[in-house]
Amino acid sequence: MKDLRFHYHMDIEFSEPVCNHTYTLKCIPQTTQTQEITECTVQVLPANKVQRGCDSFGNIMLYGNVEEEQTLFSVDVSGRARTGIERQEIGGRYTDLSIYKYQTPLTRPDSRLEELYQKCAEDKTAELSLAEKVRAYMKAVYESMSYCKGVTGIATTAGAALSMGKGVCQDYAHILLSLCRMDRIPARYVVGMLLGEGESHAWVEIFDGARWMGFDPTNDLVAGDSHIKISHGRDYQDCSINRGVFTGQAKQQQRILVEVTETEGASFSI
Amino acid sequence: MQELKLTKQSEIVNELLARYGVKFGIYKNNVFKEQLFPFDTIPRVIEKENFAHLEQGLKQRVMALNCFIRDVYGEKKIIKDRVVPEEFVYISSGFLAPCDGVTPPKGVYTHIAGIDLVQGKDGEWYILEDNLRVPSGASYPMIARELCRRSSPDTFEDNHIEDNRYYAKLLRWVMDYVNVGGHTVILTPGRYNAAYFEHSYLAEKTGAHLVSGNELMVEDDYLYFVDYTGKKERVGAVYRRISDEYLDPMTFKEESVIGIPHIYDVYRKGNVALLNAPGNGVADDKGIYYFVPKMIRYYLGEEPILQNAPTYLPFYEEDMKYILEHFDDLVLKDVAEAGGYGVVFANKMTRQEKEDFISLLKKEPRRFIAQEVIDFMDIDILEDGEKTPRKADLRAFVLMADEPLVWKSGLTRFSRNPDSFIVNSSQGGGFKDTWVLSQ
Repeated sequence: MKDLRFHYHMDIEFSEPVCNHTYTLKCIPQTTQTQEITECTVQVLPANKVQRGCDSFGNIMLYGNVEEEQTLFSVDVSGRARTGIERQEIGGRYTDLSIYKYQTPLTRPDSRLEELYQKCAEDKTAELSLAEKVRAYMKAVYESMSYCKGVTGIATTAGAALSMGKGVCQDYAHILLSLCRMDRIPARYVVGMLLGEGESHAWVEIFDGARWMGFDPTNDLVAGDSHIKISHGRDYQDCSINRGVFTGQAKQQQRILVEVTETEGASFSI
Repeated sequence: MQELKLTKQSEIVNELLARYGVKFGIYKNNVFKEQLFPFDTIPRVIEKENFAHLEQGLKQRVMALNCFIRDVYGEKKIIKDRVVPEEFVYISSGFLAPCDGVTPPKGVYTHIAGIDLVQGKDGEWYILEDNLRVPSGASYPMIARELCRRSSPDTFEDNHIEDNRYYAKLLRWVMDYVNVGGHTVILTPGRYNAAYFEHSYLAEKTGAHLVSGNELMVEDDYLYFVDYTGKKERVGAVYRRISDEYLDPMTFKEESVIGIPHIYDVYRKGNVALLNAPGNGVADDKGIYYFVPKMIRYYLGEEPILQNAPTYLPFYEEDMKYILEHFDDLVLKDVAEAGGYGVVFANKMTRQEKEDFISLLKKEPRRFIAQEVIDFMDIDILEDGEKTPRKADLRAFVLMADEPLVWKSGLTRFSRNPDSFIVNSSQGGGFKDTWVLSQ
């Protein structure tokens, strides 16, 4: 168990003024079975009326529009989280599960993915427990890929990333989702933050029959108290932290900075 | 029926239709071409009793479809009870996850349904397809009737025909029923849409504003119409003639420029009604079609009044076996396609095509359905002044408010090619008026 302080910052700089900027943010971490958000503040600039809603996956949405011209849009989320805890089951109805059993256009297997799946099957994954099986898949993903920024994008499919053998956390997650779903294991894409400094992170959760368990294929480890979850969905598309459209020809430059630190003195182990 | 005076007025009626801009847009090789929708003056005539039977069957079917959609996006009982396999729901391109758990105003999902039927040579009606997303076509028999009456008033004095021009009233009744406060608008993607004539015609006849996406905006969880002076007025119901994917770039396709950002969030909060309800395409998927008779039994506890065309799902082993054994007698449909595309008749395939198709079928069984080719009744059309028989179907319109109502008319489409069974307007077919006799 850890007591973490988190800070997520995103800004988008437009090369020239834009107007009618509408946005939807899924940037607020919620209390789950394994984490408790004890504090959370959000600041969206330009300051404007922000609406709050909830999507069909259970993520909190903040959305609004800025009619006036702007050149900078920024979002700041900070707070504290207790991670690696075990709480009573919340939500997780049966009906929510089935959606996560089926492939999406981003995870649909191609021949390369099927090959990888077959290779795992030869390693007798059939005899393993569900969690062990997913660990084996995770290891296979980890070993098939090398971490490399800039070669893949938001529209890169799991198959395309695997063929290149390179990608970022999002690609690792999509490949693992694809493998799990070939077994009809309910598996969902998770967006969150990782202890340390960097960008936002992505990993996978599978439902093992009783609860959702996190697997982080980029690091080949079971997600634990270093992970703070923000949102989940079927794939990247369902939980992009920021989605926006605007009127204007501007180029946009996005910067993201995530900082997660352990709070001094407040953490203890049992 | 004796010779109608109306049939002598073919040219005049078609000229009038052209003058009123009754057109249908077609994209061919990415080029937009507008063409006249050829009208044949010989009506399809449905006897009063026969239509009463159709009416009962259509009401029943649309009720069940509406129950199904509500269930799929709600409790999912039909899936849990394994009446419909869950993969048929979740793999369907019509199933939209953002609609899960969202209930539209008054629980109506199928405000305007266009149900395609054919009449077999045995006189029996068969359902070919349910169209629930944005079915078009009602405006064509509406205006054709109007112009036929003008060209040949005697015909309508001599025959007892249900007037079909009340469709606008029906539509308005549905719009008003679900409106949550404010104006009613018809949202069009614009004049380059195949059915733009219909959008403008229905707006005129119902008194709703015809708007495009850039005239609507969302503010503080409400939808507004912005007029040319910049004044904002609240909108309570949108009869949208753009598909789900393009409706809201913040929830669906991000690159859509014809939608309205955040309109879906307004809808989710119950502050606007959308006709038809987003996500309802889960029920008109060609794969789901197979299950409609089961839905009728499941939700209504009734036997289906109207039959499906005999359909086989390669997904089920025994059906696959049947399909392979009777391959040449069947028509195969790709469930992801619409508008007459992705339909192949097995007996028209070459040996190589058959082999390729069968291996595809085995690889992706969920993607196809197979149907018996129904030998449907021919209807006469006039060609160069001579009567010749052609294949024709009927699109019946069922409107849903607190109860379903069937419009006493419909769009009869015929194939102009004597060898073709495909009657879709997008494939260059023509249309007829549909007369329902009042006595």
